[in-house]
Amino acid sequence: MKRYLYLIIFALPFYLLAQSNEDCLTCHGDESIKTPERQELYINNDGFSISVHGKAGISCIDCHSDLKGVQDFPHSEKLKKVSCSECHSDVYEKMKNSIHFKKVECKNCHGSHYIYEKDNPQSFIYPLNIPRICEECHIKKVRIERGFEFIKLYDDSIHGRALTKSGLIYSATCVSCHGSHDIRAVSSKDSNVFRANIPYLCGNCHKGILQDYLEGVHGKDFLKGNTDVPVCIDCHGEHDIYPIDQPRSKVYHTKVPQVCGKCHANEILARKYGYSIFRVLTYQKSFHGIATSYGDLRTANCASCHDYHNIRKSSDPKSPIHPDNLSKTCGKCHKGVGRDFAKGKIHVWEEKKENIWAYIVRKFYTIMITVIIGGFLIFIFVELYARIKRGVKR
Amino acid sequence: MSQENLNLLDDNFEIERMNLAERVQHIVLMVSFIILIITGFPLLFFEWKFWQVLFGSPISFYIRGLLHRISAVMLIGLSIFHIFYVIFSKDGKEFFRAMIPKWKDFRDAFETFMHYFGFTRYLKSRGILTKFFEKNPYWLFNELPKYDRYDFRQKFEYWAVVWGSFVMILTGLAMWFVEFTISIFPLWVYDVCRIIHSYEAILAFLAIIIWHMYNVHLNPEAFPMSKIWLTGKITVRELRERHPLEYERFIEKLKKEGISDGRNSKGNNPEN
Repeated sequence: MKRYLYLIIFALPFYLLAQSNEDCLTCHGDESIKTPERQELYINNDGFSISVHGKAGISCIDCHSDLKGVQDFPHSEKLKKVSCSECHSDVYEKMKNSIHFKKVECKNCHGSHYIYEKDNPQSFIYPLNIPRICEECHIKKVRIERGFEFIKLYDDSIHGRALTKSGLIYSATCVSCHGSHDIRAVSSKDSNVFRANIPYLCGNCHKGILQDYLEGVHGKDFLKGNTDVPVCIDCHGEHDIYPIDQPRSKVYHTKVPQVCGKCHANEILARKYGYSIFRVLTYQKSFHGIATSYGDLRTANCASCHDYHNIRKSSDPKSPIHPDNLSKTCGKCHKGVGRDFAKGKIHVWEEKKENIWAYIVRKFYTIMITVIIGGFLIFIFVELYARIKRGVKR
Repeated sequence: MSQENLNLLDDNFEIERMNLAERVQHIVLMVSFIILIITGFPLLFFEWKFWQVLFGSPISFYIRGLLHRISAVMLIGLSIFHIFYVIFSKDGKEFFRAMIPKWKDFRDAFETFMHYFGFTRYLKSRGILTKFFEKNPYWLFNELPKYDRYDFRQKFEYWAVVWGSFVMILTGLAMWFVEFTISIFPLWVYDVCRIIHSYEAILAFLAIIIWHMYNVHLNPEAFPMSKIWLTGKITVRELRERHPLEYERFIEKLKKEGISDGRNSKGNNPEN
C-alpha cells in the first residue's frame, strides 16, 4: 500500500503536467505550420493513430521525451533526436554489427510518425516498397564499389520484375538477401551474401535446387569448404539474374559454354585440380559448339549432357554421362538410338593418342592440300610468267 | 598439220563442244557447289565475323543447314544422273571415253610445265649440254604437247570432281544420318568423317578457285570468262590451238564427208 502511495505522490505531478497528444496537435494539427526554413511540422493524426505506435497508445512525449514537463509553448525550436533504442534495444544490438550503424537512422527506412506493420502495404518496409527505400540512397547518394548501375540492375532482374511487374511479395527483395538490421559488408564472413553462405541464402527459397546442388560434384566440394567451387552467383549472376530464356541471362542456352569455361578453360584452376582445359575447347570445335556459337538453340551445350545443378562424375550411375545412361542422354535429341549408341571417346583433344585415325587423316589431308594447291600455284605462276613476261607462246 | 588443212574451215566457225545435257549438268554442279560452300564454310570458319553476321540467329542457322542438305540432294541427284549419262547415252559414252586418263596425260603435264619453265632452253642458251640438246631436241620443249579433246588439266579436274563428290557424299550422308552412323560405328568414325568432309571441302574450294578458274576463265586467252559453259560452242581456231589432236580428227572426218559442208554453213565471216 505504501508503495502505491509513493507512486501516486511522485507520478501525480507528472500526470498533471503531462501534455496529451491533443495538446501537441493544437499547433501540429495545423497543416500550414512550418519552420522558417519551410520544413513541414504538420502531423496527420489519422495517419499516426493507425500506426503501430499510435495503436499501442504511445504518445508524442514518449518519444520526444525532452518535451516532458515543458510548459512554455511554442517550445524550443530544436528538439533532441528521438532514440528508438530506448524501447527497441534488441534491434539496437543487431544494428551495432551493421554496416549501417551510425550511418543510417531508423527513420530512413521505417519512417517516423507513420510506421506501420511490415505486412501493411503502406509500410515503408512492405516488400513492394523495399527496393525504393534502399535505392533512395544506393542509386543516388551512397556509391558502392560496383557503382550505382550494379544496384539498379536489380529492378529489371527476375527477382525485381517478379516483385514490381508480377507483384509477388515473396520474390527476393534487397533485405531477403542482404538482411535488414544486421546488414554487413559482402566481405564479412557473417554476411548473408558472403561467398560461402550463398548456396544456403539462395536455398532459403530455392530449396530443391540447394538439395540438387549439394549432391553434385560442385556442392560436395562446397561442403568440404572449397572456395574455388562455383556457387549460385558464379553462374547466375547477382543483381543481374534473368530468366534463362532471355539472351541477357548468364546461363542462356548459348552462353553456358562460356560460364563453364570460366573455370573449365582456366589453366591455373585446371592444374590445381587436375582436370583438362580441353573439354570446353573440344566442345567449341564440335558441331554442337559451333552451332551454339551461331545462336542455335537446338544443339547441346554443356548442361544438356552433364546436367547443371547436380553435375556428377561419369562414374556415378546417376550421372547422365554414365555409360549406361548415354543412350538416354543423347537420345533426348537423337531419337531412336540404341544401347550401343555413342561408344567411344568424346572431347578428343590429343588425336594422336585418342583417335589415331583422325590424326592420320588430318595429317594426310594437310600434306595433300599443301602439295596439290602448291603445285597448282607453281604451275600457274610459271605459265603466267612465261607467257606475259617472257613471251613464250602457248 | 598441213597448210591445206588449215584452210579447210573458217577460223570463226563454231562447233559444239558441250551439249545441252552437259551444260545443264555443269550449271547444276556449279549452283549446288556454290550453295554447299556458302552454307558449309560457316561451320569450318565459325570464328569469322562475316559468317557470324550471316548465320548468327537460330532461324538463319537453321536455313543454312536446310540449304546445305537441299543442295547436297541436288549433287547426289546430279551424280546419279551423270552415271546414267555416261553409261547409256551416246554422247556420254564418248565423253567418258575421252576422259579416261592415259600415260600421255602425265607426259603432257610434264612437257607443258617444262615448256613454260624453259629451264632447258636457258641451259642451252648458256652453252651448257649443247651437244645433248642438239641430239635430243625433245628436251628443249620448244612446243607445247598436242592435247586431245580433254587435256590433262581437264581430266585432272573431272576426276577430282568425281572423287571429291564421292567422298563428300559418303561422309556427308554419314553426318546427316548421325544416329545411324554412331549406332553401328564407334564415335571416332564420325570424327574422321567430319575431318574428311572439312578438308575435302577446303581442297575442292581451293581447286575450283585457283585451278579451274585460272585454266578455264582467267588465263590470258579466255579472260575474263570462257563462254563455252553457256553456249557450248568452241571456234575452230580455239579448237586448233587448244585441242590439236581433236582438231585433226575433226578435219579428217570432214574430209571424208566432203569439205564444203562446214564452209557454207557459216562461211561468210572472215577472220578479224
